[in-house]
Amino acid sequence: MTPFDLAEPATLQEAIALLDPDDPTVRPIAGGTALMLMMKAGVFRPGKLVSLRNVKDLTSIDAAPDGSLRIGAMTPLAAVERSAAVRAHAPVITRTMRTLSNIRVRNVATIGGSLAHADPHMDMPPVLIALGAHVVAASPAGERTIPIETLFAGYYETVLARNELIASVVIPAQGARRSAYLKCTTRAVHDWPALGVAVAVESDGATVRDARVVVSAATETPTRLAGAEQALRGGAAGNALWRQAGEAAAAEAETISDGQGSAAYKRQLVRVYVARALAAALEPDGAN
Amino acid sequence: MATLTQVGRSVPRLEGQAKVTGRAEYVHNQRLPGMLYGKIVRSTIAHGRIVKLDVSAAQALEGVHRVVTIDDVLKVVPNPFYGPAFHDQPILAAGKVHYVGEPIAVVLARDPHVAEAAAQLVEAEYEELPAVFDEVEAMTSKAIVHDELKPAGTFPDLKHLKGKRDTNLALDFHLRRGDVAAAMAEADHIFEHTFRTQQVLHLPLEPYVSIGEPTDTGLTIHTASQSPSFVRIEIARLLGWPENKVRVKVPYLGGGFGGKLYIKLEALVASLALLVRRPVKISLTMEEQFYTLTKHASTFRIKSGIKDGRITARECEVWWNGGAYADIGPRITQKSGFTAPGPYDIDNVSIDSYSLYTNLTPAGALRGFGIPQLVWAYESHTDMMARALKLEPVEFRRKNLLSDGRPQATGTLMKDAAIAAVLDRVALRMNWSGPFDRGSGTVKRGRGIAIGFKASISPTTSIAIVNVAADGSVTLYCSTVDMGQGSDTANAQIVAEVLNILAERVKVVHPDTDVTPYDMATLGSRSLYHMGNAVRLAAEDARDKLAALARELGLPEGSNVPVAELFQKKYKMQAGNSIGTGSYIPSYVPPDASGQTPEATPFWMVGAAGVEIEVDTETGHVRILKLINVVDAGRPINPRIVETQISSAAVMQLGFTMQEKMEFDAGQVTNASLADYKIPSILDIPTDMQNEAVEAEQGSGPFGGKGVGESGTFAVSPAIANAIEDAVGVRLTALPLSAEAVYRALREAQGAPLEE
Repeated sequence: MTPFDLAEPATLQEAIALLDPDDPTVRPIAGGTALMLMMKAGVFRPGKLVSLRNVKDLTSIDAAPDGSLRIGAMTPLAAVERSAAVRAHAPVITRTMRTLSNIRVRNVATIGGSLAHADPHMDMPPVLIALGAHVVAASPAGERTIPIETLFAGYYETVLARNELIASVVIPAQGARRSAYLKCTTRAVHDWPALGVAVAVESDGATVRDARVVVSAATETPTRLAGAEQALRGGAAGNALWRQAGEAAAAEAETISDGQGSAAYKRQLVRVYVARALAAALEPDGAN
Repeated sequence: MATLTQVGRSVPRLEGQAKVTGRAEYVHNQRLPGMLYGKIVRSTIAHGRIVKLDVSAAQALEGVHRVVTIDDVLKVVPNPFYGPAFHDQPILAAGKVHYVGEPIAVVLARDPHVAEAAAQLVEAEYEELPAVFDEVEAMTSKAIVHDELKPAGTFPDLKHLKGKRDTNLALDFHLRRGDVAAAMAEADHIFEHTFRTQQVLHLPLEPYVSIGEPTDTGLTIHTASQSPSFVRIEIARLLGWPENKVRVKVPYLGGGFGGKLYIKLEALVASLALLVRRPVKISLTMEEQFYTLTKHASTFRIKSGIKDGRITARECEVWWNGGAYADIGPRITQKSGFTAPGPYDIDNVSIDSYSLYTNLTPAGALRGFGIPQLVWAYESHTDMMARALKLEPVEFRRKNLLSDGRPQATGTLMKDAAIAAVLDRVALRMNWSGPFDRGSGTVKRGRGIAIGFKASISPTTSIAIVNVAADGSVTLYCSTVDMGQGSDTANAQIVAEVLNILAERVKVVHPDTDVTPYDMATLGSRSLYHMGNAVRLAAEDARDKLAALARELGLPEGSNVPVAELFQKKYKMQAGNSIGTGSYIPSYVPPDASGQTPEATPFWMVGAAGVEIEVDTETGHVRILKLINVVDAGRPINPRIVETQISSAAVMQLGFTMQEKMEFDAGQVTNASLADYKIPSILDIPTDMQNEAVEAEQGSGPFGGKGVGESGTFAVSPAIANAIEDAVGVRLTALPLSAEAVYRALREAQGAPLEE
């Protein structure tokens, strides 16, 4: 690592002012678990880091009476994991945390950072997309709302401006929707996933009314699979339908080859894991 | 033998407390006054001539002390080529580079971050040459890695290669026993298969690290090395100095596994320290380990003739991918060649084993000295034959096993090798003859067994000193490196047993070549046996000298006067020492032109594994439900440490079997980080893992003991491949056994192969 400047502003506005819309060597740092690895590997050589650690009022978790959740961007993942409100209103997040990296990372990494880093292997993006969540982002131009499914512009790229920061994550009330997240690793249990699948399904028990199906890690960005969702809508809940959705997902997902597996193999994983995730979401004692 | 009180006791590791409280000494934590940090600049191409090396921008960076290239090194080391088998590896690239990652220059600075930044500024231009990466292609390739072969002269079987050109062959070992052609002609069945293994890495959690420190009288090298005596001799040779001007000190190691052997960074830090007359430290990053040393990738063609359920003929052809520098590869090629046909009693054997240069990171010994690659092939082959002949695989093995008194492929008679007992114990623990749940639906279950063996490398020497002080306290001086295997504790137990004291009271002095005597190296599971014998002899010598002192003082035989009183009587105060020395080298006869010798090895190591697995037929994922490891370790000196050696060896091999693989693109490692090269974590280890050393005794070993560091690695890979075929009917012949490889084989078997 080479020397760099470090700023530690106390407010979100100060932090935004310290960022530079034109200089890629100036970056915000939240928990730093991902960015530090890039710095140690020499992939990223910062001129200045703007630490968000001291920024006030970014670490609360609030549940509204309707069951929607607002999570401050600097909330550590471990706090999200332990939150009773999150467990009550979006238990799929609580369950996902158990296998999200390890407790040392979860103690430090933040929910905002896990989105802004835009690494397609991360677990939170597909889950939050399936839940229909959005972020509130702040910049000198003011605040705007960005659905998380449109947040990612590419591999490690978001639509955020260089001087725009995620302030909070908002998860709408889930009502009767039931969700599940499954991930598949191929080289070690603790490896980055070769595939993540998040699903959220609305059904009356017999018929699927609506569904969201999201794949990550195997694709360049976390991606909703419209064909699989279409295949599910109005279908009779059950293994035959889950397999049908898996087939549709496999046909549709643009998987990429890398060290975790070939594109063709990952397509097979999509086929299998989409069906398994749907079954897990609707299992009586499994997910909801 | 009298009742043993110290040997056979699970003495807690002597260094345990220092390690867990962070007080144990490692080179990684050492800082010397005025020390500079070196950062290595590495080749970005696999093979080529260096046309230009521009260090001016790096040299100009503020804080840079000096940038060093081979031209500078030549001022202190006129002939800068080193290596245990070939003097082929330059201290820094000399005119040519032979693999991606080869050191071409070093930046020195007080601040390691400055050195790192400046290293980015060194510019190299190359004229690229054709490269060869595959070990079989290297046999006939037009791309030649080295212009001329330069054997070190220490191995008689390499002399004929001196000055040879236009070849990548660094050693060819041949063994002929009986008449293979005739036996094949008479066989009822002939089977032939080819197996491959991949490049993997030692990856000790303490990466390679060395410090060179110029002194008034010569040079001190502080290094994380498994072979301090070799380092001293080789550095002295490079500098043209007597051995006693070079001092090599080795504290604890954070793992070694065969990586930290011979010369790694030591010649470089020695040259740098002499050039700038200041201490110089180089600590590699995790990533740089991928450019230092690997395990040999290999290809093994094996062919067997079977008559009446007996293996009557076996033909072995093995190609070892040695990478750009020979390191100890030629020794692996020969020594592992001895046992390539497996632990079976086969009258007609031919073995051809080839060590090849390629344009990859050099390969060396890694926990098994080539044996795991061989067992992978011959035990997969054994199972495939049993399956084809509809023979029960354990019975088929039993019928063919070598037993004590029978000649092995080299002609050496087997002795103290509990091969049958080891196999029996695995089968018993597996309840092999009992019913087995084969799974249902998309999850199928299977089980497999495998067994392998090894001839300990020979001949090698160990020397030890035991010093009894005037108060009766005891210190052991030896150059065995405790890199985590527990050798300090085991050696202390041997001393304590002889001198009738508690092992916990023995102090073990770590390798310091100014102080501790010669030892060949800590490798190949040799230390417990060789150093153990030397330590026992040294302790007996000290004991005998104390007895002589007692006689001299007129004390009656067996009077048991405390040691402190003996010295008091002799010197009239607390003064004096009793110094015992011990030296051990086993007898050995080099193999003749047919690979035959009556004494190939001082002892045999045996290891078997049994696994139960589950295969997800929709994804190819293999889950290991049970892993049983049984070895012959002779009499365990420290049963608890023996158990952890067995389990750690098995877990390491489990990683090489299921997970680990260096990926290459034109010789460039594309997964050179722990994020992309996955070693097993606690979650990858089977919850049911059982480890056992069978009741056995090595007659020639210290108190019946012998080495056990590698035995747990031997059989893990084929046992799992055998279980996969048992579960889902597909056979994998290349490592690693990844989920994708299993799934592809399943699709292939269904006649619907998955597209590439």
